[in-house]
Amino acid sequence: MPDPQTTPVDAAPVIATWSAPRTTVVTGAAGWLGRALTHRLLADPQRPHLRLLAHSTAEADDLRRFVDQHDAAAQRRIDIIIGDVARADTAARLLYQVGADTDVVHTAGIIHPRRVRQFYEINTNGTRHLAAAARDAGVRRFVHVSSNSPFGTNPDTGDTFRHDEPFHPYLGYGDSKMQGEMAVNEAVAAGLDATIVRPPWFYGPFQPPRQTTFFRMVRNGKFPVIGTGQQRRSMVYVDNLVDGILCAELTPAARGKGYWVADQRAYTVAEIVETVGRALVDEGLSVKPPTTHLPNVAALIAEVGDRVLQRVGVYQQQLHVLGEMGHTIAVDISRTTAEIGYVPKVELYEGMRRSIRWCLDQGLEL
Amino acid sequence: MTVSPAAVPPATVPPAAVLRATAAMDADVLIIGSGAGGATTAAVLAEAGLDVLVVEEGEWVEQGALVPFSLEQMDRQYRAGGVTVALGLPSIAYTEGRCAGGGTEVNSGLYWRPPGDVLQRWREQFRIVDFDPDELLAIADEVERDISVCPAPGGYTEPSEVLRRGADALGWRNGEIPRWMAYPNDQPHGQRQSMTRTYLPRAMRAGARLAVGCRVDRLRCGAGRASSADTTLADGTPGTITFRHVFVCGGAIQSPALLQRSGIRGHIGRTLAVHPTVKLAARFPEALNVPDDVPVHQVKEFAPHLSFGGSASNPGLVALSLLDQWATFQQAVTQWQHISVYYAAITSEGLGRVRSFPRMKDPVVTYGLTLRDRALLRSGLARLALLMLEAGALEVYPSFKGAPSVRNRRDLATMQQAFSATRASVMTVHLCSTVPMGELEGRTGADSFGLVHGCSNIYVNDASLLPTAPGVNPQASVMAFAIRNARHFVASGGRRA
Repeated sequence: MPDPQTTPVDAAPVIATWSAPRTTVVTGAAGWLGRALTHRLLADPQRPHLRLLAHSTAEADDLRRFVDQHDAAAQRRIDIIIGDVARADTAARLLYQVGADTDVVHTAGIIHPRRVRQFYEINTNGTRHLAAAARDAGVRRFVHVSSNSPFGTNPDTGDTFRHDEPFHPYLGYGDSKMQGEMAVNEAVAAGLDATIVRPPWFYGPFQPPRQTTFFRMVRNGKFPVIGTGQQRRSMVYVDNLVDGILCAELTPAARGKGYWVADQRAYTVAEIVETVGRALVDEGLSVKPPTTHLPNVAALIAEVGDRVLQRVGVYQQQLHVLGEMGHTIAVDISRTTAEIGYVPKVELYEGMRRSIRWCLDQGLEL
Repeated sequence: MTVSPAAVPPATVPPAAVLRATAAMDADVLIIGSGAGGATTAAVLAEAGLDVLVVEEGEWVEQGALVPFSLEQMDRQYRAGGVTVALGLPSIAYTEGRCAGGGTEVNSGLYWRPPGDVLQRWREQFRIVDFDPDELLAIADEVERDISVCPAPGGYTEPSEVLRRGADALGWRNGEIPRWMAYPNDQPHGQRQSMTRTYLPRAMRAGARLAVGCRVDRLRCGAGRASSADTTLADGTPGTITFRHVFVCGGAIQSPALLQRSGIRGHIGRTLAVHPTVKLAARFPEALNVPDDVPVHQVKEFAPHLSFGGSASNPGLVALSLLDQWATFQQAVTQWQHISVYYAAITSEGLGRVRSFPRMKDPVVTYGLTLRDRALLRSGLARLALLMLEAGALEVYPSFKGAPSVRNRRDLATMQQAFSATRASVMTVHLCSTVPMGELEGRTGADSFGLVHGCSNIYVNDASLLPTAPGVNPQASVMAFAIRNARHFVASGGRRA
């Protein structure tokens, strides 16, 4: 294991960090966050060996093309392992003989499944298997990507989640992610060196096609603003999130801890819609003024419907998203900055412009 | 921390100076109620040379004569033995002092100035005229000297240290709240101050009369002017008091109820505001219980919408806090010495009402919590339980029906899942805003100096006037506003400015 070395971090206290490991393992590498992370790792010549987990052959092929397109160091060794993260044998294969100079970043997860039980198969059991395998393999650091959902929503629009909060999972996703965190903590108690990062709603390049609906709704003035849109939302630009993950990975003192990773401040929903509209216009797209203002009760009805459906095992994405829109989800990142040196570099307007440009570059219609 | 009788300095008023109310009394200025509002009003008016009669429904009880938070104290110094309830889902239990000095005699004596931003908001939203927040804070300076507001000179009790330790571990803002305590000769155990030790003796030295055992049933009014009050004396016989001016200072429940019984219409009793609180009991490895004192620390990390503090924790109150889930929590009561009780208080977006009905002695009080209030009570209780775990609690017992005991972080999720405000023991000691002051039409019951709208000689001067719940212990605000308004009354010669 390399000795911790001291590196000054921009606008943050001096924090001892590790250098990059010989092997970096990424689960969910073909996903939105996984691609943003892999893209960054490929740009780093100090990462000699990447091992990436893909879910299917088709996903592996796609990931291979992505890697070939972005790999800056031709000498690098890249393994793509195919497997279902929900299965225990996948974790064993993924970490087979990786050695101690290895970090694992676990980004795989499911947020919009067809059935509620998939939350638990992937977010809970998958994490449990992987954390146990990582402990057995004796890796240097295991970074688990969690969520705000184990902590639910803020009880008041002026309330902000502090660094340390009691669990209050929001429905099936939140419960499965909470149990995922608990599985990581159990592995830590059994000797694993792990750190949890908790991003709220993220945005930015490599987004899946469903996210283009978000921009389309704003363009058409149809984004569902609940009440006057004064609910506050923490968001995180995906590259900021990658920064946060790397801080969590490389800070020895982060062992056993969990950190919010978000943009510097929470935005009101009204501000988000206005900023995205402005970013779309500045990227040369026409935007209709927002017209879809729903009463508070609409979000409440959607939330109740979502709860009822999830109780019988059914997940309905639109209901879920609308139900959550009535709430504030705001987090305080000051401890993340102080302890692991995370400083968000991109704020909402710039992040949204980059995000829109990326969509247009991919030929996606907004 | 027991105040031994020997440590109690002699009272500044011999009990003989306190009058028993009689069937026929009169005064230039009648003040109804002798608590934080009435006592300060009496002192200002008497010192200005006015003929002042203060009437009080309860009795004079020497400060320090009864064990704080004891059953005897609840019986003798609280209204209805401390059992009063605002109906709703859940119903909210509240307490009112009913004795000379009112609530100041029996509360924990913690003192918070009204926050500057709250004063600004009140001035703007309720259109309080000729109101300078700085002037009010200057009055607060005087009050703090008069009632000896100070921090504890010695160390803190262990239940207080728990709040500090848990909050520090989480990085949450916390601090000691000063109290109205005197520490003669630097004694470690202070002498609690209250109206019977400060403003009431001052008023009486300036010539004010205090008559106890006198309930005012109604004011006789015509054309917005009151000339006499119908009373019931302690022995049940009726009486009458005639006056030129009357100040109603019965607190946020009794003041609007009296105005309603007197046939006064307007924005009276429609906007009761409280700080709803929920409680938990926490058990520690060491014996820490202090039966007769409350912690002086509060956690203000989430202020104003959420605050944490310590509650009175004598064995009876420990048992009471376990009562909601008695089937599983009862065995804890045998370890009461290891248990202390804490609360989470919220600012509420809900409102209550005080309504008087003919032939009913007491008003009907109702209160409705909003969805946001309920979420905040749940979150507050969970955050407080987390703080207890961080402070080293072995087990936490939240006060709601169906509550699990909390020993670890997983239990916190279970607790939040099980929580329902409707099944919780929600209570409050901070009642206000039933006759809000200001010139905003339709939303205020009295003018910018407490003169009831539509009346020429009926004033309110107590917690009823505060336009909203201030988010902190309100008694400092009550005293400062009462003094401001009383001075204005003197300066304007008792007529409307």
